[in-house]
Amino acid sequence: VQERFGNQSFRMERKTIDLEQGWDYMQTGITKLKRILEGLPEPQFDSEQYMMLYTTIYNMCTQKPPHDYSQQLYDKYREAFEEYINSTVLPALKEKHDEYMLRELVKRWSNHKVMVRWLSRFFYYLDRYFIARRSLPPLNEVGLTCFRDRVYNELHSKVKDAVIALVDKEREGEQIDRALLKNVLDIYVEIGMGQMERYEADFESFMLLDSASYYSRKASSWIQEDSCPDYMLKSEECLKKERERVAHYLHSSSEPKLVEKVQHELLVVYANQLLEKEHSGCRALLRDDKVDDLSRMYRLYHKIAKGLEPVANIFKQHVTAEGNALVQQAEDTATNQAANIASVQEQVLIRKVIELHDKYMVYVVECFQSHTLFHKALKEAFEIFCNKTVAGSSSAELLATFCDNILKKGGSEKLSDEAIEDTLEKVVKLLAYISDKDLFAEFYRKKLARRLLFDRSANDDHERSILTKLKQQCGGQFTSKMEGMVTDLTLARENQTSFEEYLGNNPAANPGIDLTVTVLTTGFWPSYKSFDINLPSEMVKCVEVFKGFYETKTKHRKLTWIYSLGTCHLNGKFDHKPIELVVSTYQAAVLLLFNTTDKLSYNDILTQLNLSHEDLVRLLHSLSCARYKILTKEPSTKTVSQTDSFEFNAKFTDRMRRIKIPLPPVDERKKVVEDVDKDRRYAIDAAIVRIMKSRKVLGHQQLVSECVEQLSRMFKPDIKAIKKRMEDLITRDYLERDKENPNMFRYLA
Amino acid sequence: MGLRKPKATRETTTKMRETVKLISMEGFEFIIDREAAMVSQTIRSMLTSPGGFSESKDGVVTFPDISTTILEKICQYFYWSLQYSRGKETEFHIEPELTLELMMAANYLHT
Repeated sequence: VQERFGNQSFRMERKTIDLEQGWDYMQTGITKLKRILEGLPEPQFDSEQYMMLYTTIYNMCTQKPPHDYSQQLYDKYREAFEEYINSTVLPALKEKHDEYMLRELVKRWSNHKVMVRWLSRFFYYLDRYFIARRSLPPLNEVGLTCFRDRVYNELHSKVKDAVIALVDKEREGEQIDRALLKNVLDIYVEIGMGQMERYEADFESFMLLDSASYYSRKASSWIQEDSCPDYMLKSEECLKKERERVAHYLHSSSEPKLVEKVQHELLVVYANQLLEKEHSGCRALLRDDKVDDLSRMYRLYHKIAKGLEPVANIFKQHVTAEGNALVQQAEDTATNQAANIASVQEQVLIRKVIELHDKYMVYVVECFQSHTLFHKALKEAFEIFCNKTVAGSSSAELLATFCDNILKKGGSEKLSDEAIEDTLEKVVKLLAYISDKDLFAEFYRKKLARRLLFDRSANDDHERSILTKLKQQCGGQFTSKMEGMVTDLTLARENQTSFEEYLGNNPAANPGIDLTVTVLTTGFWPSYKSFDINLPSEMVKCVEVFKGFYETKTKHRKLTWIYSLGTCHLNGKFDHKPIELVVSTYQAAVLLLFNTTDKLSYNDILTQLNLSHEDLVRLLHSLSCARYKILTKEPSTKTVSQTDSFEFNAKFTDRMRRIKIPLPPVDERKKVVEDVDKDRRYAIDAAIVRIMKSRKVLGHQQLVSECVEQLSRMFKPDIKAIKKRMEDLITRDYLERDKENPNMFRYLA
Repeated sequence: MGLRKPKATRETTTKMRETVKLISMEGFEFIIDREAAMVSQTIRSMLTSPGGFSESKDGVVTFPDISTTILEKICQYFYWSLQYSRGKETEFHIEPELTLELMMAANYLHT
């Protein structure tokens, strides 16, 4: 039914619409709308109808008072919804349950929104002036509020239960209508009208509780029945499914909360039990190299606050245990076997430690994604066992010996160039874990000196390469002396050429013996004992000649001769055949005495050479009691005593034409340790002074800790030693104690 | 624009019609572009309502309370408004005697 309100000009004499009349007309439109929503056969609104309805409202609002019916229309608008909800919508919903109820709800909500859209357009004029002027809730909101207050508030609890039941059903593996759940949950969101409050309070909080208890139940049985890897697989799967759940029908804001709950129930509550499982927990996985399972463990615990700490801890314990086992093995072998086999074992130990490091670094990088916690764990583990002593040798010494074996000619390692480079690289990395780096430097230097001086270095490039690596890792100061040593050798060769030229030009100066001298710069090389020996006259001449030459090159430099490092080639004229003997200078000095006399007593030799008993015994032993008996001893006991006498052994012979007669090496370990201790004292002094100079005043504890920190790059200083040095510096007037507070120290300029 | 005879059009596709027909109180029909008509919020709401309109009745609106003169002026306004928003900044001239009615019609049409 449409009414045309006359063919008159707009502004004049518009016929007034009475409220009841006007509302009756509107009611027809509302009824039509309801019929359409209920699915009854009803044609759609056409533009004419639409405009008529709009116009009716418009007119009723623009009429002059008392016929301006804005307020009444506003109220009737709301009542229209309320009436429809009470008479039709609610009853339809209340008679249904579970999934059917959900479907009905979705349908009714959709209808309601359509109804609001239509009616709010018809009544639109109210929004423009009446509502705006009085700051009332706009039509849209009124419509939604009706549904919220009358339908949603009534049913949301029941709906929530139905939804959660379906969620749990899906968790148990059944198929559910996901689209339906999405639509239902959208209602919770939309009914909030911009706020997530309703969704969170009326649905999400319950869903989270339910999820938590669901997974709590599952976890408590799985943790008993399943192995660690299986449990983790299940957990990963559950988390994946829950994320999918959010993607499909929960609101995205639920994801972090839901994930957190699931993680908590599955992984946090039972973390300890899971990781510590007897035969399948973290320890076992590490033991059995279960890389995939460990990667999974990392992935799962990575997202949990402090979740990785127990894992990293177990990792650290495991690596430490393996390292300790290697050390123990080497220790056991060393005590059971002879000395030289033991030393091979020690080298094997270093190899194994390198392999261990490589193996677990792969774990850190691949399983644990290079996470700092695991790098730290590995580092700390290695720092524990890499600083243990094996059969009296410190790890610093072992490492230096290991390098020596690789770098010397005929060393125990026969490897390709590439393999050597690679090994050297790894050795330098291991050095990072050793706290007594200065001790390593000293042992290394000593062995380097021996390699250089006795031409035992296998490959110059490798020597330089490792120095470069050490420099990179430990700084220039670490390697400066060593580099100086290598340079000295190069200079020495040049020097020798000049010397030979000099001899050529001064035939009178020629000592009659081939002489090669290596001049070393004192500061670079390890300190050597040089005790004066009475040299045979031939050698004395050599020394004089070289001194003469050297003075032509440089004045102001003092030459100190280290005879203990010299080598001599002697022709031994034995009965059977002549044999060239390669001996040390000292051994040569002893042997040359027998050029003039056949037989000499111990004391004779002692007096003539002016040596200490210790040194002489060693020398005579090497010539008379060792493998090659150049001298015969009377009595022919196995050791040298001061009552023995010696004779040149003319009957001596050997298969070879030239033999080397080694001197048993002096145990350098003691000396090295002494030297290093001395250097450390200086280093501590320097550090204390440096710190106090810049800080001027400092408390005791702080001074000690800063000292430790500064020195830690090279060694781990003993606290007692630091205190002692501090006292020493006080007596030397570098520092003083504060008068009032004896725990404070002051720098004295 | 101007007076045109009503057209009987049959369209076999369901795409949106491009024109709407506005009829004044005297029965004059103004067929204008849909886009122009949508300058009026009221007309726009109607045309974008859910459910859509049946073909034959689509886009025909009768304004029994708006005279031909005013409706014509309004249609002119629609086109002027479109041009203005596209950058052609000219003036829209309103005859003084039309002002009041025009304002009221504008209010009604939410233009």
